[in-house]
Amino acid sequence: MKVLKYIFFIVISLSFAQHDDLFITPKNWPKPVYNFTNNALTKSKVELGRVLFYDPILSKDNTISCASCHSPFSAFTHIDHALSHGIHDSIGARNSPALINLAWQKTFMWDGAINNLDMQALAPITHKAEMANDIKSLVQKLNTIKLYKHLFKDAFGDSIATGEKTLKAISQFLLTLISSNAKYDRVMKKQEIFTSQEINGYRLFQKHCNTCHKEPLFTTNDFANNGLSIDTLLNDYGRFIITKNPSDSLKFKIPTLRNIEFTFPYMHDGRFKKLSQVMTHYTSQIQSSKTLASELKQKITLTSNEKVDIIAFLITLSDREFVFDKRFADPYIKYN
Amino acid sequence: MTNYKFIQIIKQLLGKKYLAAVVFLCLQCAVLNSQNKNEIKVVFQPFFGSYPLILDSTYVFENGQIEFSTLKFYISNLQFLKNEKIVFKESNSFHLFDASNIKSQNFTFTIPKGLLFTELNFNFGIDSLTNTSGAMGGDLDPTKGMYWTWQSGYVNFKIEGTSSLCNNKRKEFQFHLGGYQFPFSALQKISLDVESKNTLVIYVDVKKIMETFNLSSIDHIMSPSSEAVRLSYLISQCFSLK
Repeated sequence: MKVLKYIFFIVISLSFAQHDDLFITPKNWPKPVYNFTNNALTKSKVELGRVLFYDPILSKDNTISCASCHSPFSAFTHIDHALSHGIHDSIGARNSPALINLAWQKTFMWDGAINNLDMQALAPITHKAEMANDIKSLVQKLNTIKLYKHLFKDAFGDSIATGEKTLKAISQFLLTLISSNAKYDRVMKKQEIFTSQEINGYRLFQKHCNTCHKEPLFTTNDFANNGLSIDTLLNDYGRFIITKNPSDSLKFKIPTLRNIEFTFPYMHDGRFKKLSQVMTHYTSQIQSSKTLASELKQKITLTSNEKVDIIAFLITLSDREFVFDKRFADPYIKYN
Repeated sequence: MTNYKFIQIIKQLLGKKYLAAVVFLCLQCAVLNSQNKNEIKVVFQPFFGSYPLILDSTYVFENGQIEFSTLKFYISNLQFLKNEKIVFKESNSFHLFDASNIKSQNFTFTIPKGLLFTELNFNFGIDSLTNTSGAMGGDLDPTKGMYWTWQSGYVNFKIEGTSSLCNNKRKEFQFHLGGYQFPFSALQKISLDVESKNTLVIYVDVKKIMETFNLSSIDHIMSPSSEAVRLSYLISQCFSLK
């Protein structure tokens, strides 16, 4: 009897085991932060997550999907808009971040309000200026749709949607959004070489930017005050809103620089449209305050050629394969 | 997992051939187990002073009136103790009490027969590890309306209603108490002396809870704060054995 029990256990665990080809940690990268033991990736769950991600059914009036503000062609952000807009053209208070390498991210949102990738989708689903829905109504709606009954059945062995399953499926899709094949990565693997301008840009990057935008993820995932002047219309104090600790005032999440060519405009409020403006900010517009990052307390001096070289290096972080990956594309045609 | 789902999985794994044998063995195990077990029922009963609390009923309160539309809270990590030692601990112990759902007010535990206990311990709220572990099901499913969306974390305690004592135009009050991060961790431990009986009734005095608030000056709290921590502690003192 005991032996039989063990056999069951092994067979059941194997059937729920993660499919290794869905998530591969790139060579020399740190271990992912996401805890896969509670949500092992499977093909059908990732697929359900992808369908949910692109479906405007998530919003109250079926107009806004996750992809509305996180489109694949812009490395999953909302380009051309400083502040992202949602339902009924409502304008939000922040620039939507790019969804890249989320399995390595400790907290979510510019202020780290969200502590786990699974819970992230709840915020835009509920926010009045984004999808203006609530998870209970959404799950009820999903349970009336034939396609979702099939997809939930395939993914979880039960056609009934719940909040937990819905959120976990969205996480599954998001976890697969790995960008690790930019020119930078190929140069590191000695498959390609940098131009002399890119080499100089990389050298300057390592000197001035690398502490916060640490390789290979190009972020430490920490929060920092990078010397932006406060926008008195938004009065956004960032991390302070969450921790209520004055030492967190004006600190925002350090974003990854991967695919930065595609993710304009820049900063939490999208105030800079071009990378050249970002360079100018770091060299001559830093606002001093108590919480300013120690790395920025001393003025950074760069010649205009040096700025151009850094930008040339940053463009080597563009991963076209990631942006055009068919696995991440809208599955609309497949299901209609 | 329901029996049906379990059978479905077994069926897929082994084919129908072994199904009868497996079902038989499972049933036999269940029968053997139940002979050495005892069922303990823990009931949470909300009262307003000496009256049972009924949602949407009007009660006299201080120099005015009060009515409740919502009362929900989490009870977790239930433990039975004897002489300060844990004798039984419920695994995966999370219960959402909801005044609008009578079923949510009784929890049944199966403990070994003859087990004696003198103390019942439980948490009022959700611990920090659970708060950071991602999406959960059952009573912890975010569709239960007890999870903040703009900032991660469970709402440990939710009470809403109207009172003539409130100073806002609609006379509404709304308290969503929670928070798991230092220094605003709202989780409270409750320990009650009990007798080894099969039914334990815990009295939740909502009048005493409302007396800890000062409705005329504060009629809502909806985020983690030191005030939420202070109130959570005071509310934890309003649970007693009937």
